Amino acid sequence: MNMTVLFFLGLYFLAMIAIGLWSMRRGAGQSMEGYYLGGRNVGPLVTAMTMQTTSMSGYMFLGAGSLGYTQGYYGFWYAAGDIGGGVVNLSVIGRRMRKLSQIMGALTSIEYLEKRYPSKWVRLVGAFLSIFFLSFYVLAQFIAGGKGLELVTGLPYEASLIIAVTVIIAYTLMGGYSAVAYTDMVQSIIMLVGIMWVLIAALQNVGGLTAANETLAEIDPTLLSVWGRDLLYEGQWGMVIGAVLIFSIGYMGWPHVVTRHMAMKNPNTARRAGVYSTIWNIMFVSSPYLLGILAIIILPNLDDPEQAIFTMASTLLPSAVVGIVMAAIMAAIMSTADSILLQTGSIAARDLYERFINPNMGEKQMVNVSRLIVLAIGIGGILAALIEPPAVFAIVIFATSVLGSAFLPAYVGAVWWRKANTPGALASIVVGGSISFLWQYLGLDGPTEMHPMLVGVVLSSLTMIAVSLVTQRSHPVPEHILHAMEETAELRPLPKGLRANQDFTMAHEAMSLT
Amino acid sequence: MFGLPTATTFLVLGIPMFWILYTLGFLWMTRDWPTSRNEK
Repeated sequence: MNMTVLFFLGLYFLAMIAIGLWSMRRGAGQSMEGYYLGGRNVGPLVTAMTMQTTSMSGYMFLGAGSLGYTQGYYGFWYAAGDIGGGVVNLSVIGRRMRKLSQIMGALTSIEYLEKRYPSKWVRLVGAFLSIFFLSFYVLAQFIAGGKGLELVTGLPYEASLIIAVTVIIAYTLMGGYSAVAYTDMVQSIIMLVGIMWVLIAALQNVGGLTAANETLAEIDPTLLSVWGRDLLYEGQWGMVIGAVLIFSIGYMGWPHVVTRHMAMKNPNTARRAGVYSTIWNIMFVSSPYLLGILAIIILPNLDDPEQAIFTMASTLLPSAVVGIVMAAIMAAIMSTADSILLQTGSIAARDLYERFINPNMGEKQMVNVSRLIVLAIGIGGILAALIEPPAVFAIVIFATSVLGSAFLPAYVGAVWWRKANTPGALASIVVGGSISFLWQYLGLDGPTEMHPMLVGVVLSSLTMIAVSLVTQRSHPVPEHILHAMEETAELRPLPKGLRANQDFTMAHEAMSLT
Repeated sequence: MFGLPTATTFLVLGIPMFWILYTLGFLWMTRDWPTSRNEK
């Protein structure tokens, strides 16, 4: 066990808990808006960084390096979409979703859908779909966190898991969204410093990028092509476009990512946040894939390609710097886990418990219930991660495509298309989620060479358009929603009348159920 | 460039350049947003 590495990790964990305490003292637990959305007071830099780190899990340090190691420059197709994911999301729906969610008094991304597309079924289907896939997603991050810490410290997996997840639960419970967003901000810096350090050392080791590519050409020239080793993916445009789509426009369908828009300090925040996202992505996103490629030269006999970045760090860097790289890997895992944990807890508390079971709670009571549910999910996650159910990772690979395909047209249509109505949204969620899931489950992506996300997004979008148009007469979009949509296009403070209509209680919704 | 085939150079450098231009275009299109600073 390396004491320098342990020192950096310990320091990192303490910093995360300190941010949780700081957020709590700033009043995160005083109101639902404070706990769920940081009081809608999050600035552009933190918005950009929490959006990026939430989207990028431990996959970037493990899977991305592995893809570069096994398939060469083909991995850059995934980076190609990822670099623009943040700015696309913020430019297309950021500003308008921030404003519309405030006008409608929505505190979770699923509640926002019900208020834009008034139907309890939108809420029910959206909540169950999100909770199911996000629970497995957070469980996978817990397992990755436990294994990451085990690898670094040499502690048993069980102890590593409990330490890593306890830190995540502690700051999420204390500070809610503020704690998650500000820890993500710190984690984004650690991730960037960690990856850049290994990249610079690796490039020095191989004599620069041009020399590295010349060496790769001697090993296997197909590693330099865009179609993978031995041109495995040659001509598979359907797969490639799907890969680019997942990470460029797919973010707009992820409930745990679009919540970031709702928490922005100001609708105008989206502008600078978009710029910060692109700057960070340009520096970070391609690096893990490139490191995997460089590892082919530096570590030609690597048994496990997922260890490419970790092994290169241990081989090329002094132990003090390895500690930062290890903290970076933990940061990537934890910054995704905390956001999904809070989001899953919020949806379970607000969109299921409060909405359908106990709608008459006060704000502080609701915050406490949310904390309890987050704690329960966290403890349940630890217990499940100890067992490591074999299906976890199998289900997680569905999550990104299914959530993106299901919700993307609903979130985009919510702010941009006046005719997007309740039947259209509900049908597109069901069709997009089901098609994307079945496409992957039945293995249709192989024979058709079409990525599930590509098929899912196209069909859910067509469903949204067709069903909304056909049902326009029977289910017109209510006048107050059209009025609110018009207001989101305006560059002015909300009119007093609209502000007066903001209602964070659930009473009116409960009445509509009877 | 950098010893890469043309298509790979486009993937590695061209697409990030596209996103930089997209971001600059977004900044240009939204240049009147800062006037709405009091919007809350």
